[in-house]
Amino acid sequence: MKNVAIPPAVTRLIETFSELPGIGPKTASRLTFYHLRGKSELALSLAKELQNLVEKTRFCSICYNVTEEDPCPICSDESRDKKVLCVVAEPLDLLALERTEQYTGSYHVLHGALAPLEGIFAEDLRIKELEARLRKGGVEEVILATNPTSEGDYTAAYLLTRLKPLGVRITRLGRGLPMGGDLEYADAVTLTRALEARQEL
Amino acid sequence: MHIRSLSLRQFRTYARLEMDFPPAPILLLGANAQGKTSLLEALAYLALGSSPLTHIDRQLLHWQAVASGMPFAQVKAVVVKKERTETLEIVLQLSQTTNGSPPRLFKRIRVNDRTVKRSELAGHLNVVLFLPEDVTLVGGPPADRRRHLDNLLSQVYPEYIEAQNSYTQTLSRCNALLRYLRDEGGDPAQLAPLEQVLAETGVTVSLYRRRVLAALSLHADQFYQKLTGGQAWLQLQYEPNFDPLAPPALDYQLGLLPQESPLPPVDVETLQEIFRTTLVKHRRRAIQRGVTGIGPQRDEMRFFSQEVDLGIFGSRGQQRSAVLALRLAELQWLQEETGETPVLLLDEVLAELDRDRRNYLLRLLDGVEQTILTTTDMEMFPAFFREKVLTFRVAGGIIRAVSSMSAPGD
Repeated sequence: MKNVAIPPAVTRLIETFSELPGIGPKTASRLTFYHLRGKSELALSLAKELQNLVEKTRFCSICYNVTEEDPCPICSDESRDKKVLCVVAEPLDLLALERTEQYTGSYHVLHGALAPLEGIFAEDLRIKELEARLRKGGVEEVILATNPTSEGDYTAAYLLTRLKPLGVRITRLGRGLPMGGDLEYADAVTLTRALEARQEL
Repeated sequence: MHIRSLSLRQFRTYARLEMDFPPAPILLLGANAQGKTSLLEALAYLALGSSPLTHIDRQLLHWQAVASGMPFAQVKAVVVKKERTETLEIVLQLSQTTNGSPPRLFKRIRVNDRTVKRSELAGHLNVVLFLPEDVTLVGGPPADRRRHLDNLLSQVYPEYIEAQNSYTQTLSRCNALLRYLRDEGGDPAQLAPLEQVLAETGVTVSLYRRRVLAALSLHADQFYQKLTGGQAWLQLQYEPNFDPLAPPALDYQLGLLPQESPLPPVDVETLQEIFRTTLVKHRRRAIQRGVTGIGPQRDEMRFFSQEVDLGIFGSRGQQRSAVLALRLAELQWLQEETGETPVLLLDEVLAELDRDRRNYLLRLLDGVEQTILTTTDMEMFPAFFREKVLTFRVAGGIIRAVSSMSAPGD
């Protein structure tokens, strides 16, 4: 899209914005013109924050969570239980678990779930690193906390084949009815799993 | 069962249609390209959850709906059954995205005003649809016969739809992984969980197909003998690409499963395990080819008469009789399985049949609660049939009653 009426600085930013996930040419133009007319402080601080994101953050060399210091605060926290390891697909899943304030163990972030159709295979995930961690010893239980989707289940099933030979206890997050849900409207699969995982009172 | 009313909005050639049907034979009369087939398609769409004529739902939208900025289509029908009356509805909505990517089509299925999954549509409306192009089913590509069988099973068993969907989805995952392993290398153990799912769902698909074909074959034979004046028999043969009931050369399985009896008692878990180990055994070849070579995606279904494969050696006349016998067998099977007569939809098929077969078929309609036929030519029908049929004229997506037994159903 060459247009002499608009300076290259503008068109270049539009093109860059539209490379972001979930943003198409229309939204990209709107964002660009917003910054053009809006306060320059916002645009500059955005630029600075993006720069910080790239320059200052990295992956923790132990759990591969996103961090500014290596090892990350969770891995270097003496009070966290290093014998229990929770395996999650994404850093956002880790955040969700942290919000519960119930989990006191440590983590391992895979950075994705197996999705052959999207071109994500075992070699793209941090599985080798997880194996190496377990081989070092000290971990007694691995909790597989992948999503209850077919991709998450696939990832968990594959991890099981990789981790089982290492002789640690492997568990998976419970699954069943959501809070505030309605039995009447629960689907058959969810109900079946809830029945399977019923608990003694 | 019968359809009491049908409502269409922006569906194919119909901008809008509200129509009441009596529980009787209904004849839609009109020239070509006026909307006769689309009406039958709409009813089949509600029975199957997908169109028997296209697998692209977007094509079902009225062309003006797409152009007008109100891009949606709606098919809704009231179905009267012995025990209850139900409302079925499918809405297609084309939604514009703000980020410039192509618009997405949303599909919502409702049964009695409650949104359901596609698999839950099974069993609410049953139809037997007979299209003119079906006469090529016997000699056509095997994929057509498989889809046909899937459509029939999908009308009755939600668990079949679920197994079939899961199988198809896992198969494409598996094939993507096989290509990656072939081109880039990688851990073949990634295949194991997928093979497990393929085995679980594939065995379900295969067993249902075997079961329905065994029943259809018996019924179809009876109809075929009547159609040929008792001169020939017909057999529908299920030829699974991978047959867990007759495992190929797995020594330790020998004697485990009797191969002689047609429907041996099956232990599903054993079958799944046989299928899974066979997949594992064929891994190397699958990786070389980049595709899973075994499983129900390659099943075959053949029509035999007097030991002859009609798909290869049958005359056009024999193939037509075989398809007609198959359709009537489906009618009977659905009736036995559900306790309700399905709605029979006959699109221009009389033109494909000679006079004897035509009359045989028309006389059978007395036993069917509701039949909807389309034709371009009233002369095709014998007098005895014209007397009891209710005729509607279809022109440019508008339908008007021509004659009626009681009051016009407009």
